[in-house]
Amino acid sequence: MSEEKEKKIYRGRIKVPYKHTAGDYVEKFIEEIGRNNKIMGVKCPKCGKVYVPPKMVCFKCFEKMNEWVEVGNQGTVEGFTVVTHSTDVMPLKPPFGYGIIKLDGADTGFVHIINKGDPKKLQEGMRVEAVFKDRRQKKITDIEYFKPI
Amino acid sequence: MGKKDQKEKPFEIRWKTDLPYKYAMGRVSVKFFETLKKERKLLGSKCPECGKVHFPPRGVCAECIVKMTVDDMVEVPPVGTLVGFTVVNYPFVDPQTGGMRPFPYGYGLFQLDTAQTYTMHFINEKDHEKMKIGQRVKAVFKNEMEGNLGDIPYFEIIGEE
Amino acid sequence: MDHFEGINFSEMWCGIDAAPGYMKPVVKIATGGTTGSSLGISGYYNVASGIYDKVLVVGWEKLNEGGATTGIITAFDPVWERPSLAGALGPLALMANMYMNEYNVSPETAAMVTVKNRSNAANNPFAHLQMPKITLDYVMSSQTISYPLRLHDCCPQSEGACAVIYANEKEAKKIRDNTAWFHSVATAHYYTFGCDDKMYDLPTATIASKKAYKKAGIRDPVKDLDVAEVYEPTSWAELSWTEALGFAEPGKGGEILREGITQMGGELPVNPSGGVLSTNPIGATALVRFAEAAIQIMGRGEKRQVPDVEKALAMGFGGSLWTELAIFGNEPPR
Repeated sequence: MSEEKEKKIYRGRIKVPYKHTAGDYVEKFIEEIGRNNKIMGVKCPKCGKVYVPPKMVCFKCFEKMNEWVEVGNQGTVEGFTVVTHSTDVMPLKPPFGYGIIKLDGADTGFVHIINKGDPKKLQEGMRVEAVFKDRRQKKITDIEYFKPI
Repeated sequence: MGKKDQKEKPFEIRWKTDLPYKYAMGRVSVKFFETLKKERKLLGSKCPECGKVHFPPRGVCAECIVKMTVDDMVEVPPVGTLVGFTVVNYPFVDPQTGGMRPFPYGYGLFQLDTAQTYTMHFINEKDHEKMKIGQRVKAVFKNEMEGNLGDIPYFEIIGEE
Repeated sequence: MDHFEGINFSEMWCGIDAAPGYMKPVVKIATGGTTGSSLGISGYYNVASGIYDKVLVVGWEKLNEGGATTGIITAFDPVWERPSLAGALGPLALMANMYMNEYNVSPETAAMVTVKNRSNAANNPFAHLQMPKITLDYVMSSQTISYPLRLHDCCPQSEGACAVIYANEKEAKKIRDNTAWFHSVATAHYYTFGCDDKMYDLPTATIASKKAYKKAGIRDPVKDLDVAEVYEPTSWAELSWTEALGFAEPGKGGEILREGITQMGGELPVNPSGGVLSTNPIGATALVRFAEAAIQIMGRGEKRQVPDVEKALAMGFGGSLWTELAIFGNEPPR
């Protein structure tokens, strides 16, 4: 920024620590990933829709969902983008692929990183598989990324 | 969902935001900090309609709904009268730093001479028994000015009414 | 609210799917401590305008997830106010200090407010701090956290939610026979820099109450109102703000308390629910005042019910010293 412009601004930061009690459903989802390399969803008793990640209430039927189902670790890429620009608030270093993956057996899309190999070679309809981190931290990033298969 | 054992800790996800912002200060604030840095003087804003002197300076007189520009800024002496005081004595995270703000610290409401508004700022007294409404206070400036509010680290009590 | 939980689309965070909000018009309102009352008034505008027949209003807060003081600081001017501001309690302490000096009010008088409200809360199954056996000594012996505020002069940080259903005349009849009717609402904002004025006498409450009383036909609030849910973040605030609302002359807020006027069984009980001093999930707190006033009108107060309530006042406070008021009646306004 030019010196002239710099004089007209006040550079501030907002640094606040937060903690979120994520709830039982998120806990079970992340634990199954961490302990058993399994990705789980929940199924609506009324319309049969399988939600991954799981939620408590089916937004269409307004029914509470208690039935847990395992969905595959593999899925199909429904849409993707390749992030090539960087700013200092981005969580990952570009370039990386990022997309909506319909895991086998799920009715909703799951958003995650698609990596390994040339991110520019990603295609809709590609088959991908979850790659789990060696050291599990009880976070969504225990699935490190999806790799093309 | 079953009932959780009382001793079980609920699953928490923790994170810390750390977001940068470039706040446009506005011409009036820019002029204030430039003058503070170069001339070690305080400026307020005087409404061209009602004559009310505002400190801190700002771009609009709220009651008249009239614009106040850089030309409406007037010098305000760095001394005033204490109107209210407290000693903040509890821990909290300062969002500017992400860490705890040091406490206890004196904090007061005072009216600078010739200004018609009140201002809140640090006071360098940690014992509320030593503070009294009506005391005279004076702005303390840093030796090396940077051009932000930190150039006035606190106000000090300079005497009784 | 956004800065408290760290999620800036906080309406998404609270479970829109569970509301249910899918494909419905949803608006988030976040105005600091007045969030609940802004919500309360917005629900009223949406239905009274004739645009919607039925509206669900939800206020909530999970204060354990962030820090209230930290969040509040981010709501203020980064150049002028953030460096020294100590959240809400700093300015509230200054207001208590000025009020105490101006009218020579003792800390014991303020402590009596906490005793009243937290023992009232014992009758309210939804309150956070229910203390049927609270004593003046309990409050007076607590640590001074920001002179003159002691720990128990201040409201807690709570987690909770409040939901209210609004309906027009036709729809209301289908839901229940006995409803609370809005007679008037009023809002008043203040300067951007909240400390521009002496603050403690809350001029926004005086202006808003005059507007609200005029529209609802209230001439003498102590006589014409049957119950009031006042937003009191500190015990001192209830003393000075009941004056701002016209319940007492300036400086006499403590007198109406000592004389029993604002106690349960008095002429105008204030905060039979326990008030903010007992329960404070910030995004819901002011909505709880509206809900509790409506509960009193509907006769659903059970142990905390004030007898024969025909007119009730609910107050919200927050932001940069904003006040929002609503007056309810047990019959439609004429």
